[in-house]
Amino acid sequence: MGMDRWFLIAATLLAFIGAVWGMISVHQGHRSRLTMFWMVAAFIFQLGFLYARGQMRAACPLVGTGEILAFLAWSLTLFYLLVGPAYQISLLGVFTAPVVVLFQLFALVPGKLVENPPRVIGGNPWHETHSAMSVLAYGALALAAVAGVMFLVLDKQLKDQHLKSGLFRNLPPVRELLISLERLLWLGGGLLTIGIIAGFLMPRTTQAIGHLVAAVAVWVSYVLLVGLKAVRGLTGRRLSLSAVALFILSLVVFAFV
Amino acid sequence: MELLCLGLNHRTAPVEVRERFAVGTASLGKAANDLVLLAEATEGVVISTCNRTEFYLAAVNAQAAFERIETRLAEKIQVDSSVSAHFYRKEKIDAAMHLCRVVSGLDSMMLGETEIFGQVKYAYGAALDAGATGAVLNKIFQRAFSVGKKVRTETSIQEGSTSVGNVAVDLAEKIFGHLKNSEVMILGAGEMSRITAQSLVSRGARSIFVANRSFDRAEELAKEMGGSAVRYDEWQRVLERVDVVISSTGSPHAIVHRADVEKARRARKYRPLFFIDIAVPRDIDPGVGEIEEVYLYDIDTLEQLAEEARARRLLQIEECERIILHELEKLNLPGM
Repeated sequence: MGMDRWFLIAATLLAFIGAVWGMISVHQGHRSRLTMFWMVAAFIFQLGFLYARGQMRAACPLVGTGEILAFLAWSLTLFYLLVGPAYQISLLGVFTAPVVVLFQLFALVPGKLVENPPRVIGGNPWHETHSAMSVLAYGALALAAVAGVMFLVLDKQLKDQHLKSGLFRNLPPVRELLISLERLLWLGGGLLTIGIIAGFLMPRTTQAIGHLVAAVAVWVSYVLLVGLKAVRGLTGRRLSLSAVALFILSLVVFAFV
Repeated sequence: MELLCLGLNHRTAPVEVRERFAVGTASLGKAANDLVLLAEATEGVVISTCNRTEFYLAAVNAQAAFERIETRLAEKIQVDSSVSAHFYRKEKIDAAMHLCRVVSGLDSMMLGETEIFGQVKYAYGAALDAGATGAVLNKIFQRAFSVGKKVRTETSIQEGSTSVGNVAVDLAEKIFGHLKNSEVMILGAGEMSRITAQSLVSRGARSIFVANRSFDRAEELAKEMGGSAVRYDEWQRVLERVDVVISSTGSPHAIVHRADVEKARRARKYRPLFFIDIAVPRDIDPGVGEIEEVYLYDIDTLEQLAEEARARRLLQIEECERIILHELEKLNLPGM
């Protein structure tokens, strides 16, 4: 087994420890401060994986489902590390870590990551920009979905007046969650815009056209969502549900297109 | 040398007795020196809060010191000897345990409250600066402060809010985070509204609007809270901008209906809205709570949450007592 897989396995284990640690802390009613530490460690090993694969490919490692999922997990971790401390959302890690573990476990499924991947020959910069920006955008949009789930949990607890759990005590305020969710949607939407522009500029095959159409459809959906929120306003519940549904839907779409 | 404590508190003495023995914070140092002279003791600290006045002393003979201080205090304050029935007297380890319980908030009217820690610390500091303390009281007070910190960090004696006002404020912070960007509207200028709104203002709420059937009363309360009075028939217009609504009118029927809030939703851009209904009968139609972005809490729910927090604190007492005993066992005070 190559070094790249060992890096990804280590990153997965560290994120898993972070998730379990965080869940236990929250269950006991404490803040899950150490989750951030485990996620930083996981991030370092993710970087190791991407570096090793990048060296093998001599290009951005975004070929095949395994590499895309690993890159997506890295992007999600990156945005968590940027957003979590900035908004003092320590619990975000507890919700993010399981998603990272899930993505990386899928990437580690035999057959998803090619052993000794061939070098990318005749790579196109627009193609690489399209792939990298799109996956980065999905990192931000995945984190928006995570924030959406956190809002839905908190909203349900406040509505049902179930206020005793450790989870309730540790969840950030409703307004902070909604602000971070909206900013992540804008950020993801912006990165996706760059990705799509690059997609139109890259050389297109018949297969790529279907992929590009799907990407444009996803982009339009996100633009409508943030536009609707900015112009007309949306309840927190609808914004969160839409962020979660759109993210899952777009993942499903790209799994088939 | 023996440690002793003579005191009265909210459980042993009514306010008209407590106020006779109250000492202003500026005079605590001088009072500690006077106490030492009165009791012919070697060291003294006077603690005085709205709920208690306590005299801590280090003296050669505790019983003699008790007698001297009670007699001389009664003469000085000009109260008859029946006042002694309101005093409790504690010696040696009992006095030390009592001090630790006081510092930890276990002896407070509101179990687990934190303000007492600072008040005792201030009283001790005043006595220390006045030269009224020595080896015995310095050691026992320092130990009491470290025990108080330990009790608060290792137990959940201070967790949760135990009053309706504080529960409402905690919920507002759970919804809006820092309240400095939040605006509050009070419907009905009653006492409960005033107390709850004051709690929100003390945590930084940006502005307060008061709507009341009597506009004069609304203006009066608004002035007191640094807010603005609103004509009663204009509260629906203000609803479009506020984040928190506290309602406590004397109306026999609901005054805020689902349709009123539905009308304001679009203008509010569906932002979260927190309704606190502390009126009986309720002012806010329960249907309002079914609106997606609305969180509605009535007096029963708030009272229940406060009661649950009180019950949780009560369950912590045994653990707190265990910590206090364990920490005091480490001490080797003279006379213990």
